[in-house]
Amino acid sequence: MERQDVIRAVAARAGDALIVANLGSNAYDLHTHGHRPGNLYMRGAMGLTGSVGLGLAMARPDRRVIVLDGDGSLLMNLGQLATAAAEAPANLVHIVLVNGLWQETGGQRIATAGRADLAAIARGAGIAEVAEAADLDALSRVLDRALAAPGPWLVAVRIQERGASQAPNTDPMANRDEFMRAAEGFVAVAPQYERA
Amino acid sequence: MPWADDVVAGFRSQQVRLVVYVADKVLVPVLDRIAADPGQFRLVPLTREEEGIGVLAGAFFGGMRGALLMQSSGFGNTLNGLASLAIPYQVGFPMLISVRGALGETNKAQVPMGRAMPELLASLGLPRYDLDRPETVESVTRGATRQAFTTGRPVALLLSSLLTGGKGGGF
Ligand SMILES: Cc1ncc(C[n+]2csc(CCOP(=O)(O)OP(=O)(O)O)c2C)c(N)n1
Repeated sequence: MERQDVIRAVAARAGDALIVANLGSNAYDLHTHGHRPGNLYMRGAMGLTGSVGLGLAMARPDRRVIVLDGDGSLLMNLGQLATAAAEAPANLVHIVLVNGLWQETGGQRIATAGRADLAAIARGAGIAEVAEAADLDALSRVLDRALAAPGPWLVAVRIQERGASQAPNTDPMANRDEFMRAAEGFVAVAPQYERA
Repeated sequence: MPWADDVVAGFRSQQVRLVVYVADKVLVPVLDRIAADPGQFRLVPLTREEEGIGVLAGAFFGGMRGALLMQSSGFGNTLNGLASLAIPYQVGFPMLISVRGALGETNKAQVPMGRAMPELLASLGLPRYDLDRPETVESVTRGATRQAFTTGRPVALLLSSLLTGGKGGGF
């Protein structure tokens, strides 16, 4: 299973869910294979992709929130799993694509290529629903459950790295505005945007 | 602690709902008041201050107003989150920061970040307002919070030990 397979499987089932994609490969492939207004593409803030998902899930309990994280990014901010477990938003589906690499910076091996086990770490942090998938059949079954049953979910998906799509140079503000309209976030934050 | 009442009143007037924090001794009266009003505020302890930038960004995108509470050393933990998420995506929220390392400080480890913080804020282009006089705490908190949300930018509210008495409650 490659990243593109995971992205396509998620995009096909996303419905009106809000999706937050990790900087680099995940954002590039989501843009290439499943661009829609409800996608937020991180351009930086390595480590914070899941935290953005947590804040969104708390603000919008009426919507599913899907995080497409990288294993390097999640390792940079493992504490977020404890926070998500404690706050326990039922609508949060945190998917981490485990390639065992920092792909974006040249494919250096990281701890998940060896002994580190993100699903076990998530269980230890207290995440209610933890699942793993290493092939497309397993992924389909897990996604069908995770997008319907209460979470929070942490889904660790093992992928073979074949390189990401060509980078679209998404503009943070253009993306943010489109995303906030999809998330219906403008009204409470700054009402004057709505009136303009 | 009237100053803590005034800070919370300032937040409440701007519909702040999500308060994320890593504790500081000086912030306790504010935290107590926020915890005492669960109808208005959801109070979330973080594992590290930078996490809060992500959580508040997600909340902002979803239409929920938030605030980040921390001490000045915690501000040091937020820098790349501010620089590569909050600023380029124009995410607004007030940061209530208790300034350590200044008047009356006894801990040398608090001094360097306390000193660096105003210049770090300035070099990031982030507005900074001081909470140092009892009679202006409410209006400054209200105005800075309003500015943060309507302009889509983090704004720092620096809690001075002149106002709070510092960690020991009086130097
Ligand atoms: C704070 C910070 N450190 C380093 C980088 C450089 N960097 C960008 S993406 C990346 C790797 C991310 O790894 P992972 O989350 O596993 O995603 P992948 O690239 O494998 O898809 C790194 C190290 C950065 N952008 N920010």
